[in-house]
Amino acid sequence: MYATTTKLLIKNVIKPKLLVQRFSSAPVLLSDKLQKFRTSESNCANHTVDHLGLFYKVPVEDRKHIFTLGGLPKSFDVQTKTFNETCLMIRQPSLDIINCMKNLDFSKPVVRFVLYGEMGSGKSLALAHVLHYAYQNGFLMVHVPWVGLWMRRCKEYSNSETKEGYVDLNLDAAAWLLNFKTQNSHLLTQPDIKTDVEYVWSKREVTPAGSDLLSLVEHGINRVKYASEVIIALAEEIKKLSNKGVVRTLVAVDGYNAFFYPNTRVYTEKKEVVHPQKVTLTEAFMKLTDFDWKNGVAVLTVDEIAIAEEDQTCHLPRYLLRKEGFEHIDPFVPVPVLNYTHKELTSCMDYYRERKWVKDYPGLDEEVEFISNSNPYKLMKVCAPL
Amino acid sequence: MLKIFRIIERNTIEKTCLCVRYSSTDSSAEKRDEFRVLNIRKPKGRYQERKQPRTLNILPPRSESMPVDQDWGNVWPGPRSFHPATVPLPVRQGYVEKSGAPPSKYANAELVKIPNFLHLTPPVIERQCNALKQFCTPWPKALDTDEKLEKHFPLQITSSDYCFSSPSIRNPLARIVTLRFKLGSLGLNQRAKDKFLRLVGDRYDEESDSVTIVTDRCPLKKQNYDYALYLLTALYHESYNVEEWENLKTEADMEYYDWLKNKSKATIEKLFGKPHGEIENADVYADSVDKLMNEGENTYTLDKYGEAVRKLLNLPTKIEIK
Repeated sequence: MYATTTKLLIKNVIKPKLLVQRFSSAPVLLSDKLQKFRTSESNCANHTVDHLGLFYKVPVEDRKHIFTLGGLPKSFDVQTKTFNETCLMIRQPSLDIINCMKNLDFSKPVVRFVLYGEMGSGKSLALAHVLHYAYQNGFLMVHVPWVGLWMRRCKEYSNSETKEGYVDLNLDAAAWLLNFKTQNSHLLTQPDIKTDVEYVWSKREVTPAGSDLLSLVEHGINRVKYASEVIIALAEEIKKLSNKGVVRTLVAVDGYNAFFYPNTRVYTEKKEVVHPQKVTLTEAFMKLTDFDWKNGVAVLTVDEIAIAEEDQTCHLPRYLLRKEGFEHIDPFVPVPVLNYTHKELTSCMDYYRERKWVKDYPGLDEEVEFISNSNPYKLMKVCAPL
Repeated sequence: MLKIFRIIERNTIEKTCLCVRYSSTDSSAEKRDEFRVLNIRKPKGRYQERKQPRTLNILPPRSESMPVDQDWGNVWPGPRSFHPATVPLPVRQGYVEKSGAPPSKYANAELVKIPNFLHLTPPVIERQCNALKQFCTPWPKALDTDEKLEKHFPLQITSSDYCFSSPSIRNPLARIVTLRFKLGSLGLNQRAKDKFLRLVGDRYDEESDSVTIVTDRCPLKKQNYDYALYLLTALYHESYNVEEWENLKTEADMEYYDWLKNKSKATIEKLFGKPHGEIENADVYADSVDKLMNEGENTYTLDKYGEAVRKLLNLPTKIEIK
């Protein structure tokens, strides 16, 4: 009796083919789909409009070099570990910026690009794609993984000793210097990258003119007290080196608008809120995003998450940057980062299927597209338990 | 003790028995005369005649006896509230009960409430116009279009005259004078126009570009008319006046974003190292910044701004998704 009912059930409700797909661990043959969502082209300079919506693999070495100390959003970073590879989707905003960078006249003042978009639309990953391009093309990378980490979740603050009324974020500054060192280790050892001016830190500590940039950076890492000052000096040196034409520089700042949002979580010793412009670190990146130097390019993102929750009402750059910020980087090129198109969503779902992250069943794509509103981050969250 | 009580008791009983006997003899005498009948319908005594209601000798409604070819203008010569007997129309108005018709015109307050134009039927208007025609002059032939009219007669003055039969022929509303003109016809420069608009406030209508000044503070029409013209003259000259404190206006006091006065202009002049007039595509860029700031930012204005910046900095155009 029991056996017959189960047989009936299987016959009527679940198709036997589907049953195999669901409950067996046999790999689904997706070889025909492989060509559709993946590209073997991992050189970002060769990415064209034809590659839009396709995934490319970031080599392990490159990833180790660029993203060891931040640069990929946490949830994405976890997912790359799960997938056992780092794949980035080639999307319109990053491709647009790379295209502009290819055709840029580097003898002209620095061009500023501003990535903006809703929460979770992929601004940081667009920046990551640009960074990868910059790394492959020998740019000096000045990359701040997340400004919000300094202004809203800083590790430690203390009053600046050299500048009256300013606040140092020593540990964060040193951590950033370490990040800078790892990202540019291949460039910093070059013989012609040397400092231009002598820096006197104290009676016994001096960085003489003509010393390696690496020694300057290491001084900041070893003597945490001077880390903020070192970053300002480094900014000046990078600008000089770029002007001379020794290096080409990419300034990439994620959450740039946090430099202009007055309610920080940085306090003075009297527990007064510090305006971001009164944080010594800010000065360095204000200098680097100014247009008074050449042989460089700045790619910035503005993000709602970098400011306090009560003010997260709009994702557009003029609102987020405020008047000062807008005037500081004007004229900039606004680059919108939109939600997935249908093609991109299908490609992403195919990738998830190939990684066996989601099980395949008919109508899944449409449902997931509707639930996540094609927002990349939401799509990732929605697909996690499937 | 007990004996005494008994004696008293006996005496009282005897006395009461006596009384009963006397009274019974009286009532028996009446009964013998007549048999009383209980009359419910008619009360005994004088009968009162009920007053008959006075019947009024009312004529049937006038509308019933009206000839079909009557002159309606004579029946209803002036503005008047609705009267059911005078209007020969079966009009109905009012709240409709369930599955019923609206109340008829008799004793209908709803019809009295609403204003009517029964005195302004087309033949009456025609008759009145014909009567007024003898006082009119012909329309100037050269003024055949509205544009010409506006050009040659930029001021438009409106006032009302009232005539009616009452002890006083004066109507206080007749003193009000309305002056209307197009702001463009004054030929003000940008600064003067800005000041003029601040002075007139909400009297300016942006849609039709017209200013309306209503004067009613003087007792006579002539005085109000003169006052309106005085106001126009004063406004015109005052808007060209530059007071000393007006130069203290800073950027924070600006009511709109002016690219020429902002940092954006200084920035691109510094960027290119020459005045903005000589920079290629600077005007498009200036326009886009103005729009971004004044219209507020949205995807459209931001896109325009992006395009302008790309042109200004000579960058490749945006990659379009196919």
